[in-house]
Amino acid sequence: MIDYLVTVLTEGSIFAIMALGLNIVWGWSGDFDIAFYGYVALGAYMTLVLTVGPATDPTTYILGLTLPFPLAVALAVVSAMVLALIVGAIALRHLRGIYFSIVTLGAVYVLYVVTGQFVPLFNGYNGVSGLFDPMGDVLGLDYSSYSFFYLGLCIAVLIIVLLLTTRLNGSRFGLALRSLREDERAAAAFGRDIYVTKLKAYVLGAGLGGLGGALYAGYLTAFNPSAWSPVETIILYAAILVGGRGSTRGVVLGVAVMVMGLQEATRYLPEIANQPSFAPALRLIITGVVLVLFIRFRPQGILPERRFRDKDPAGKGDAAAVEPVVTGPKLDTGAA
Amino acid sequence: MTVLLEVQGLHKHFGGVQAVEACSFTAAEGQITGLIGPNGAGKSTAIDLISGFKIPDAGKVRFEGREVQGKTPHVISRMGLIRTFQSPREWPGLSVLENLILACFEPRRERFWRSLRGPSRAEKEKANAQLVEARAILDEFGLFHLRNERAGNLSGGQKRLLEFARMRMAKPRLVILDEPMGGVNPVLGERMAAAVLGFVTAGTSVVIVEHNLPFIERVTDQVVVMAEGRVIAEAPFDQLRGNPAVVDAYLGELPTYDDAES
Repeated sequence: MIDYLVTVLTEGSIFAIMALGLNIVWGWSGDFDIAFYGYVALGAYMTLVLTVGPATDPTTYILGLTLPFPLAVALAVVSAMVLALIVGAIALRHLRGIYFSIVTLGAVYVLYVVTGQFVPLFNGYNGVSGLFDPMGDVLGLDYSSYSFFYLGLCIAVLIIVLLLTTRLNGSRFGLALRSLREDERAAAAFGRDIYVTKLKAYVLGAGLGGLGGALYAGYLTAFNPSAWSPVETIILYAAILVGGRGSTRGVVLGVAVMVMGLQEATRYLPEIANQPSFAPALRLIITGVVLVLFIRFRPQGILPERRFRDKDPAGKGDAAAVEPVVTGPKLDTGAA
Repeated sequence: MTVLLEVQGLHKHFGGVQAVEACSFTAAEGQITGLIGPNGAGKSTAIDLISGFKIPDAGKVRFEGREVQGKTPHVISRMGLIRTFQSPREWPGLSVLENLILACFEPRRERFWRSLRGPSRAEKEKANAQLVEARAILDEFGLFHLRNERAGNLSGGQKRLLEFARMRMAKPRLVILDEPMGGVNPVLGERMAAAVLGFVTAGTSVVIVEHNLPFIERVTDQVVVMAEGRVIAEAPFDQLRGNPAVVDAYLGELPTYDDAES
């Protein structure tokens, strides 16, 4: 039972990191990015090929280094950000809304197919494997205590990410991103460089996606195309929407409900004979129904994005006239 | 009188439609310049060309002596030329107060690293001063009690006032108002006229596009009349009545301000 809890919590923290990244792109900047899971996947692949050592026949993949895990994670995050910079620079230039989404969908499918078919890159559909207990040797951890260590590591990273996103959330950068989401032309009219600001958010979000992917690789020990399809992004969107789009606390809660809660709860459904795919299918159906219900009845999510509230230190105002009425004498024409 | 904005031979066509053709006029510093003309005269296109939201086919736009044609909207905005839009473009999901705070563009504080590091003491003080100013401006426009409300929840007239409040907060050198009186009742109109005149007092020159002629007559020092993409007259409003081209193209039987009131 305790092992099971550790597993669920580790997965939950990793998905929370990814969701917080996607929340920057969709929740704050307002771009429905379908390529997001591509950055997660690149983060995972890069971590693997930087740590597991040279490929042995018949597997083939690039690099094949044996770098320390933290360094590999850092490089994986950087590579995810570089990829996001390229995709974002193209997709964010002129496209918005559904057109932006379609381009990112195209981008992630190209990545997916290239990864699967171009075997020398990441060993095609068989994927890369062999990352066992990263940092376990150095720290002298045995098999039973390692899972606790990795859970602690993921939670620690999640807390750091939470602190950073919370700080950005209330900053001028965060507020400027919201203005792009709310009305881009007005934001430009008041001096914001839409393209550059959106691109910053996009690359930052992808960086967190890559970070989540890197930790995911360490958790799964291996990664191949069956572990990621562009549809995976929808699970993250569901978590953000249910928790509260744009709200940092909400996104973490959303992951707890939609990824940990719903996914795990459906595991306990009775097996139906000869229907092994029943539970996974039902899980997707429930996810869809929950999404539709939230969009219809509570689109702001469980914990909606909070707005800055002015506490009125001057002690005036609330009794002021509701409708602005001016009844003074008319001003002369050209009084200036 | 110094010229703040100079538009010279601006051209723009969409397909076969010549929206703006050889449009030239100037707006002086410290003045309110009206831009009027019938629907389709090219007024809105001219504003888009000046503020960088559309790129002219030909012609020059000089703002404070510097050429700005073809520059992007945010660059022109940072130079001190800010425009409004025909329909109010508030940031609906943000609070009224946040709408005002965001009207001040601050490149240093909005940088990513700076935001991550948190504000310095000087910046905190500045932010506080900004907050105090924003409250005062909201109070002036009668929006103070709504400051924590989502801007999207305001009524149409209140959104117009919010646009004005944002401009006061941004303190540009020149503001271009695109039909600020659209859908505004006469009582609120009084307040808006006072606000437009208040811009000049606050050091912001004004170019105003408007169909409400009594309003134009009341607030403007100089009026530019456009028809079919061209400027057909440029004079103080009271001199336009005698201009046959203007009367023919736009004015017709001219109502006075008192007619509109009754």
